[in-house]
Amino acid sequence: MKRIVPYLLLLLSIRVMGQNTNNIDITGKIYDQKTGVGLPGATVHIKGTTHEVVTDKDGRFRFLTGQKLPVVLQVSYVGYQAREVAENTSRNIDIWLAETSSQLNDVVVVGYGTQRRKDLTSAISTIKAAEVAGTPVASFDAQLQGKAPGLQINSNAGVPGDGIFVRVRGTTSINADNNPLYIVDGVFVNNTSLQTVNSGGRSTSPLADINPADIENIEVLKDASATAIYGSRGANGVVIVTTKRGGFNARSKLNLDVSTGAAWAPKLWDLTTGPQHAALVNEFYTNSYQDAVAANDPAGINKYKTQPFIGSALNPGVTTGRGTPDLQKTYDRLHEIFRTGNLQNYNLSLSGGNKETRYYLGGGYTRQEADIKPLYFQRVSFKLNVDEKVNEYIQVGVSNNFSRTFRNQGRAGDGPAGGLLQSALHTPTYLPELNADGTPARWAGFDNLQVLLKNYNVNTVSLRYIGNLYFDAQITPELKFHSTFSLDYNNYNESEYWNNLTQLGAPPTNGLATSTITQSSTWINEQTLSYRKNFSGRHNLGVLIGNTVQSNPVNITFAQGSGFPSNAYKNISSAATRTSWDSSRKANLSSFFARIDYNFANKYYVELSGRADGSSKFGVNNKWGYFPSVGVSWRAKEETFLKKVDAISDLKLRASYGITGNQSGISFYASQGLWSGGYGYPDGSSGDQPGAAPFQLSNPNLKWESTKQANLGLDLGLLNGRITVDFNVYYKYTSNALLLLPIPGITGFTNYYSNAGEISNKGYELGINSVNIRNGAFTWQTNFSISGNTNKVEKLPAPIYQYNRNWIVMQQGSPLYSFWLYKQLYVDPKTGASVFEGQVNGTLPASARQVMHNAMPKFFGGINNTVTWKGFDLSVLFSYQYGNYTYNLNKFFGEGGGTRDANRVIFSDQLRRWQKPGDVTDVPRVTAYGLSYTIDQNSRFLEDASFIRLRSLTLGYTIPRRITERLKVETVRVYFSGTNLLLLTKYTGPDPEANVTGIETVQGLDLGTPPQPRTIQFGLNITL
Amino acid sequence: MNLKKYLFLILLPGFLSCHKFLDQQPVDYVSDQVTIVDATSAQTAVRGIYRKLSSDNYYGSLFQSFGYLSGDNVQWTGSQSIIQQFITHNLKSDNGNLESVWTGIYSTINLANHVITKVPGVKDPSLTQALSNQLTGEAYLIRALSYFDLVRTWGGVPIVLTPTLTPSDKDTVKRSTAAQVYAQVLSDLNTAENLLPAPASGSPNPVRANKETAQALKARYYLYQGQWADAANYASLVIGDVKNYTLLKPYSAFFFPASAIATKESVFELSYSATNTNGHRGYWQPPANGGTRQWAPSDAFISLVNDPTIGGNRNTLVAKTSAGLWYGNLYYRSPATDPAYIIRIAELYLIRAEARAQQDDVSDALADLDTVRARAALVPSTATTKDDILLAIENERRIEFAFEPHRWYDLVRTGRAAAVLGVSDPRKYVFPLPIAEVNLSKGNLPQNDGYQ
Repeated sequence: MKRIVPYLLLLLSIRVMGQNTNNIDITGKIYDQKTGVGLPGATVHIKGTTHEVVTDKDGRFRFLTGQKLPVVLQVSYVGYQAREVAENTSRNIDIWLAETSSQLNDVVVVGYGTQRRKDLTSAISTIKAAEVAGTPVASFDAQLQGKAPGLQINSNAGVPGDGIFVRVRGTTSINADNNPLYIVDGVFVNNTSLQTVNSGGRSTSPLADINPADIENIEVLKDASATAIYGSRGANGVVIVTTKRGGFNARSKLNLDVSTGAAWAPKLWDLTTGPQHAALVNEFYTNSYQDAVAANDPAGINKYKTQPFIGSALNPGVTTGRGTPDLQKTYDRLHEIFRTGNLQNYNLSLSGGNKETRYYLGGGYTRQEADIKPLYFQRVSFKLNVDEKVNEYIQVGVSNNFSRTFRNQGRAGDGPAGGLLQSALHTPTYLPELNADGTPARWAGFDNLQVLLKNYNVNTVSLRYIGNLYFDAQITPELKFHSTFSLDYNNYNESEYWNNLTQLGAPPTNGLATSTITQSSTWINEQTLSYRKNFSGRHNLGVLIGNTVQSNPVNITFAQGSGFPSNAYKNISSAATRTSWDSSRKANLSSFFARIDYNFANKYYVELSGRADGSSKFGVNNKWGYFPSVGVSWRAKEETFLKKVDAISDLKLRASYGITGNQSGISFYASQGLWSGGYGYPDGSSGDQPGAAPFQLSNPNLKWESTKQANLGLDLGLLNGRITVDFNVYYKYTSNALLLLPIPGITGFTNYYSNAGEISNKGYELGINSVNIRNGAFTWQTNFSISGNTNKVEKLPAPIYQYNRNWIVMQQGSPLYSFWLYKQLYVDPKTGASVFEGQVNGTLPASARQVMHNAMPKFFGGINNTVTWKGFDLSVLFSYQYGNYTYNLNKFFGEGGGTRDANRVIFSDQLRRWQKPGDVTDVPRVTAYGLSYTIDQNSRFLEDASFIRLRSLTLGYTIPRRITERLKVETVRVYFSGTNLLLLTKYTGPDPEANVTGIETVQGLDLGTPPQPRTIQFGLNITL
Repeated sequence: MNLKKYLFLILLPGFLSCHKFLDQQPVDYVSDQVTIVDATSAQTAVRGIYRKLSSDNYYGSLFQSFGYLSGDNVQWTGSQSIIQQFITHNLKSDNGNLESVWTGIYSTINLANHVITKVPGVKDPSLTQALSNQLTGEAYLIRALSYFDLVRTWGGVPIVLTPTLTPSDKDTVKRSTAAQVYAQVLSDLNTAENLLPAPASGSPNPVRANKETAQALKARYYLYQGQWADAANYASLVIGDVKNYTLLKPYSAFFFPASAIATKESVFELSYSATNTNGHRGYWQPPANGGTRQWAPSDAFISLVNDPTIGGNRNTLVAKTSAGLWYGNLYYRSPATDPAYIIRIAELYLIRAEARAQQDDVSDALADLDTVRARAALVPSTATTKDDILLAIENERRIEFAFEPHRWYDLVRTGRAAAVLGVSDPRKYVFPLPIAEVNLSKGNLPQNDGYQ
């Protein structure tokens, strides 16, 4: 392993100053090749001697010995490639070390501890935060797309700070949470949005409260061996976030990072012009009239006998029409709402430490405007991590994250009133913005766009504290006690004000305001006792036991007012009608866990872990759940037959099996039979008196959802670690899935919480990291990942339909997120009518409706290339998904064939309609009759949403040290980063990653959400 | 090192996880074990039935829409073809509104069953026999109305008479015939009529049921059954209470101005408040008034209601936006506290008119018809023969109850749906059962003929 690649020596920037064979006096400094920062604690050894020194806190060293020149210096530092440097003169030298690509000795954070990567028996991916820092999204999870095998990330909308879709190895549950467990510095943080205001179905991301700049690295725990120690929280994977800390004996370092940039929507919708819209509607009337005559429908004949776009608009008295199509104007609302948003990001940090104390102080400010007015996201964050060695046995420390996020929110999504894209996109283009009298015109049930933009007043302020206090005691060299107290507190304050110019506040409402304050806290107390010892050199044993108690109270207070004296009054106290409610709930969890790991000669590994969780959500009989796991691995490289094979630098086989659970996401009182108040009704003729009604049926047998998972893995290192391969296959089977099981309506209920479903996920993950070229000045690395997952609902007593027209169905035998549609086979070239599978004599029975495709990809991943040359660094990340479908609801509305006349825009695609016999198209003849435009669940709008996206591109330049040194600055780096610069997809909407709702069981419905922005940013990073 | 001594102190909080810690009770809800135990909780539960009856799925909006969308007074102006299916009589069993109304009605029935089962057994001195009878009677009446609405919409449905306590409670309940359901309706109406007190003279309270509410519904029941004498008799019982019920003039007086609630026009109406609003206006009102105008009066209806010889002063049912779009204006208040009208005195006049005409009592039938016409500021009907009068009543009902749930049910009841609406396939006279319910029923709920 210590052998060096000879050509590494070639590019040493050592200049020979003179010849001297006397005693040596060599001074120097060891640098990180990439950042140019001095490395404290690196070892410098003179080859073939016992002489060795360690660099100081600036990375400097000095040899003053009687050895004779020339000498070879061996330089090593944990996590870096060791180097040998031949030196034949006494002088001051700089030695640059490259980070090692072989991560075998990297420390990996695992549940309640750390392990070396080579010792893992489980499947864990690590992402260094610095690798993804260039992506300007509000939350760190959104930065991870394409970065880790098995981790699927989809953005639902191009709104910064919005919730995203995250799955680790597929979806395991129906009504319980499917998101991974997020742990920040040991704190189980809330990842369920506290949003209550209507933003058209979308929801905010609580993880956006955390400044990504404070994060050091992120581990994704995937298989049961890794996650079972989290028991009931582990079934969806665990994401462990470690924030930055200072270093003991480290010089204090000040880092400033400033970037600014722009975000805009690269593609919008193609709409018909006013004349085109009018002509299509006229054609619709003509055709419908013919069909009405054929159907002998007197009402239809009467309705369609006169086209609406006729006559002269200049002479409205003569006819009642709206003017012929050519007289129509076109009003472009899309470009009024889409903009080039501004991005700003400032981060300042100070870190360092002495012998006893280390600290990290961070402050950040971010402001990100969406590509659509008026939405923006703003965050101010503070970070303080301090660790103190009280004495040689005891260490205490704190982690603190405090942030305030502000969101200017809007209804970008579903729903007519206040809907941004409903006003801008769904309003027909021929309709003017102003009425004849100059007042703002409101059309089609939507708000006037300009009125909306000027008067939008929906704001959310989230105050978040995530922190913990820990106490470590090294009782004996082998035995360590650890105790923490953690708190995740979130005060989430939402307000809406709709003045009387907006649809929601228009007379007779006369202004509508709401205020919602939600307070959620999670406090956790945790103790662990860990023991690690090596016996007789070859037996390595580790034991961990621990317990946690956790409580999660949530309180909500809501007030609403309507009837304001004027638009000058905005507080609810000014409103004529005021209503309010409040709500509180609490869930507790108590747990005990243990882990034993053993390895023989770093060759054969076995690890057992288990956890018992008691949850207040379940009935008395089933409060406790037990979650064991076992993992084994074999480091074949340590066997004699492989030790001498130089080409293979590492080979490890892993296998694990275990059971994890799930209980989050369901109602806190899901098992109890409950009645609800709030059903007030008068005794006299008016004035509500208290009333109550059944709320939910009890299920005393409600219990944990459990997921069994088997994993087989292979870790392979080739060419001295220059190529590493990480391959896993897994099978997950979830039983007793928690779900709101539909029951016959005659019971008076529609569903109840039950353990009824079974779901399987099977898949593979492959990650390949390759250092293609590495020499002193030039490196080129490629990281490639591909993952595939197949999901199937194995058992479900009754289908569950989703979203308001049941576009999505969950049913036995099909994957989750399947679409439930009527399949349009073709448009009959003779008649122009849609022909559906299963249609009978022109009617389409409900039995013809079928499951078609689903919103999950067959495979997905990313490819990242990183090139560094001298001071330049370039990183290019592509991410991709294949085989996922999206139901294009914007198109469903926009290709209504004129049936919606003045109520909806018509997309340009409608112009491809069938017009005469022989036309071959998938867009049917426009008519009100028949099936062509009367089926809300037409498969015509289901589209392949596979894509390849240039997710991010970052180009940086670090100014040479000889320049920065004169300025007393350690490093200066300038950079450019761009995201979403290229998108390849067959999807006809602006962006295939679109989903209208934050509802966990719905994915792949594209309606009214702004597309992902294209962004560019310029930044400057200075370290003092 | 005496550290170990203190170790247990740190570990201690972790082991405090006693049983209580994992036993959390909600504060927003109460256990269903203690729901109807005394007079107060009995009254609370009965109010809950009314609020269920008035929910958006039932008399709030959706059930009402069944009655008028499937008639000929309303056109589709929104984006959801599930509405269009009613108007064009091409209902599919996966239409979401069918499911919403089905579950809305049965959840009303479930709470009524709780009251009917539990209230008579409550031991509480303040729950007097009179109060107990009244509360139980109200539950019987609403259950009767619920089954009546179910059977006139879907035909025979499962009859559930006990409260649901477990999810599998009703697994074996099979679909009853329409006749059996109508028999249950009559039985419940009779019980309600016996239990409920007469209304306080001169100060009726039409938002809560009384003996005459039961009689009014019986009149309607007998009309549907073609038992003309009974229909006329029960209608007369209610019409005869002139102190409590009267045809208000003009027509709009029962819903306009906004203060016109619980008027003497109403025999039974449902009350809403700023807290418990009525979503109905949202479907009717145009965006300018904060609605979505999912549907609107049809052109044919607009010309009828605006014809002074047909609509009379009932043209206040419709209004026009500044852009010239007509909309229905029966539900218009903000906050949305518009009452839901279940049975008005005008209906009892027209029930009696129809029942009398069917019994060939032409002159008395005309008298009732003309009473309603006179209130609408119309001249007396020129109809003379029995058939002419029946047609005149049909047309009168079309305008009088334009936006209440009658038109479709009337045309089906009288066998006129084919002639008036062109719905010639009699299998379409009942709606398809919600497909989800058919699938969940384990075979107990076969789909109606002609639907899949």
